[in-house]
Amino acid sequence: MNSQENKYSIQRGRFYLGVFLLIFLATIPIHAQDWFKTETSSGAPNIRIAAADFKQLSPDPHAAELKRTFDTTLYSDLANAGIFDLVSKSLQPQTTPGAPSEINLSQWSAAPASAAMVAFGAFNIQGSNVVVNGYLFDAKNTQYPQVLAKQYTEAVSDDAPRQIAHRFADEIIFRLGGGLPGIAETKIYYVKQSGGTKDIWAMDYDGANQHPITHLGSISISPRISPDNSRLAFSSLGKYGFEIRVYSMLLGRMVSFPNSGGTNLSPAWSPDGNQIAYSSSRTGDPEIWIADANGSLARRITSFRGPDVSPVFNPKTGDQIAWISGRTGLPQLYIMGADGSNVTRLTDGGYVSSPSWSPDGHFVAFAWNRKYGPGAPGGQDIYVMEIATKRWIQVTHGMGQCDFPSWSPDGRHIVFANTPDGRQAHMRIWTMLADGTQMHPITGSGADMPNWSWK
Amino acid sequence: MVNALPLPPKQPENDQNVLTSQTPSPAPVTTKEQTQPPPKPDEVAIPDKIKKQPKVAERTEPTPPKHIQPTPPPPTKAQTGETSGVRIPEATTQLKNGTASVSVTDRTFGARFAYYIRIVNTRTAQNWYTGEADPRTSNGKSVTIVFDIDRNGEPSNARVEVPSGSPTLDQSALRAVQRVDTFGPLPAGDHITVEYTFNLKLP
Repeated sequence: MNSQENKYSIQRGRFYLGVFLLIFLATIPIHAQDWFKTETSSGAPNIRIAAADFKQLSPDPHAAELKRTFDTTLYSDLANAGIFDLVSKSLQPQTTPGAPSEINLSQWSAAPASAAMVAFGAFNIQGSNVVVNGYLFDAKNTQYPQVLAKQYTEAVSDDAPRQIAHRFADEIIFRLGGGLPGIAETKIYYVKQSGGTKDIWAMDYDGANQHPITHLGSISISPRISPDNSRLAFSSLGKYGFEIRVYSMLLGRMVSFPNSGGTNLSPAWSPDGNQIAYSSSRTGDPEIWIADANGSLARRITSFRGPDVSPVFNPKTGDQIAWISGRTGLPQLYIMGADGSNVTRLTDGGYVSSPSWSPDGHFVAFAWNRKYGPGAPGGQDIYVMEIATKRWIQVTHGMGQCDFPSWSPDGRHIVFANTPDGRQAHMRIWTMLADGTQMHPITGSGADMPNWSWK
Repeated sequence: MVNALPLPPKQPENDQNVLTSQTPSPAPVTTKEQTQPPPKPDEVAIPDKIKKQPKVAERTEPTPPKHIQPTPPPPTKAQTGETSGVRIPEATTQLKNGTASVSVTDRTFGARFAYYIRIVNTRTAQNWYTGEADPRTSNGKSVTIVFDIDRNGEPSNARVEVPSGSPTLDQSALRAVQRVDTFGPLPAGDHITVEYTFNLKLP
C-alpha cells in the first residue's frame, strides 16, 4: 500500500516537472528578445550545444596536456562561432563519454545542461599520431541521434590538438550553421610593428600561433591575401617609395610585381584572384588602378582631382569596387563598377577610411569619424552600411580610435585595429561579431591593419 | 487538741492531676520528623494511556486501467512501390514576429535528420521581415510556402501553397525563402520538398 502511494506521488511529481518544463521552454524566446541584435541574425533562437570533455584513452601525462588544449580550443571555437548558445562546462554532466555507446543522451538534454546538441568523443595517442574520434549527437532526437562522426589523425605536436579541434569545430559549424563554413581554420594577416620597422605577420583566427611572414626590415603595410591563399600582396617602402609587392606563400619568397613609380598603396584582390586593384600616384594624383595579378596591363579606373585610395572588390560578384575618394574634400566612401562607371557616393560627411566588403556582398564595413575636426566630439569608429539601402549602424562605441575593419569569410565576424589613446604604439587587433557583440582583443600592442583570409 | 477540732478531713493529694500536683509533669517526648526517601523510578508505575483503535473505512484498491496499445490502421495503399508522402509536423518555433512550422514530405528524412529541419526553420525565420507586409495585415494570418531543397542545400521553386489573403504577406514569406542562399548540403538524398507555414504575430 505504501509503495503504491509512493509511486503515485512520483508520477505526480513528474507531471509537475513536465508542466514546469513546458512553461519554462515557452518563456525562453521571450527572454531572448530582451537584447539588441542586428536584423540579419535575429528572429530565431540559437542552437544550444554542449561540448563535452573528450575521453582520454592513453594514460600518458603528455596526452592529458594535449587533450586539455583540444578541449579548450573546441569549446572556444564553438563559442566564437556566434551561432550557438554554449552549455557552460559547470552545467554539464560529469561523465566523459568516448563513444556513442557510452553517452546517456537524456542526461545531456535534461536540465541544467538542456543541450540540443552534444559534441563528444575520444582522444588517443597511437604511436606518433594523435587520433581523435569526434561525434556530434542530436540530444533531442533519441531515435537517430547521430549527426556527425569523424576521425582525425595528425602527427603528434603541440599544435596538432588545436588544428584537429579547429577542423572538428568547422565541421560542426558547417553542418549546423545553415551552409556557412566555419572560420576556425582561417588566418589573419597583419602588420607587426617592432622598433622602426613593420613586417607582415600571420596568426590563427583566435590570435594564437603568431609568426612573421616577411623579413624585409622596411615599412610594409596593408597586407591582402589572395582568394586561394597562395599569394600575399602588400605595400612596402622600397627604393622608389611605396611599391606593391607580392609574396608567394607556396614558394616562401617574394615574386615579381613591376614597379611603376609614384606611391602605390592598398592592394586588393578580385574574387577570382586574377586582378589586383590598388592606388597609384604615377600620374601625380593618387588614382585607382587595376592590374593583372602579375602586375601587367595596369589601367587607370578613376580620373578625378583628389586622392582615390583603398579599393575593395565586391567579393560576391567581382564587378563592383568600393573605395575612398577625396574628390569633394574630406575622404568619403564611394562605389563604382569595376570599369569605373556608375560612381555612387555612400557617406555624407565626416572622415571615412579603410572599407571592407562583406563576403555576401550586402554590407561594407568602414572606419568613420563623423565629427571630424579639431575639438569636434566623437572619434573614429567602425560602421557597417547596407549597400542597397545606404542605412548604416555604428558597431564600436567609445573605445578610442578604431580602424581597418576586415570581414571574416563567413560574414559573421569583423576584425579591426584599435588604439585606446590614439597612439600608434598602442594599436592592437580586436575581433567581434558583426553586430558588435563578443568583442575581445587577440593581440598585444604593436599589431595593425588586419586582413582576414578568404578561407 | 488540735485533732479535736471539727475540721474537714484532710483530702488525699491526687498527684496525677496536673493542677493539684506539686510535682511537675513530665514533658512530652517529641520525636524528630523523618523525611521519606524519594521513590525509585521504577516504583511508581505510569498508568498506560488508553489506546483507542481508529475506525478506518474499508478501502478498495482501484485496478489500474488497462491501456491497450491501439493498432494503427492498415495502410490503404500497397506497401510495395511508390507511396504517397506522409507529412509529419515538426516542432513549431516562436519568433519575434510570429510562429513558424515546417514539415517535409519525406517522413523518414524528417525523423532521421530532425536537426536539418530545425536549421531550415531557423534560417528561413531569420530572413522573414514582416515589415515588408502591408501594416494593415491582420494579426494571426498565416501563409504556407512550398519549396524544394536540392542536394547543395539551395532552395528553389518556392511558391505559395495556401495564401493568407494578404498578397504582401505572401510576398514577404516568399522572399524569406528566396533570400536564403543555402541551408547547407543535404545530409542525405537528392532533394526534399518543404512545406513552411508562417504565422504572423504583430507586436
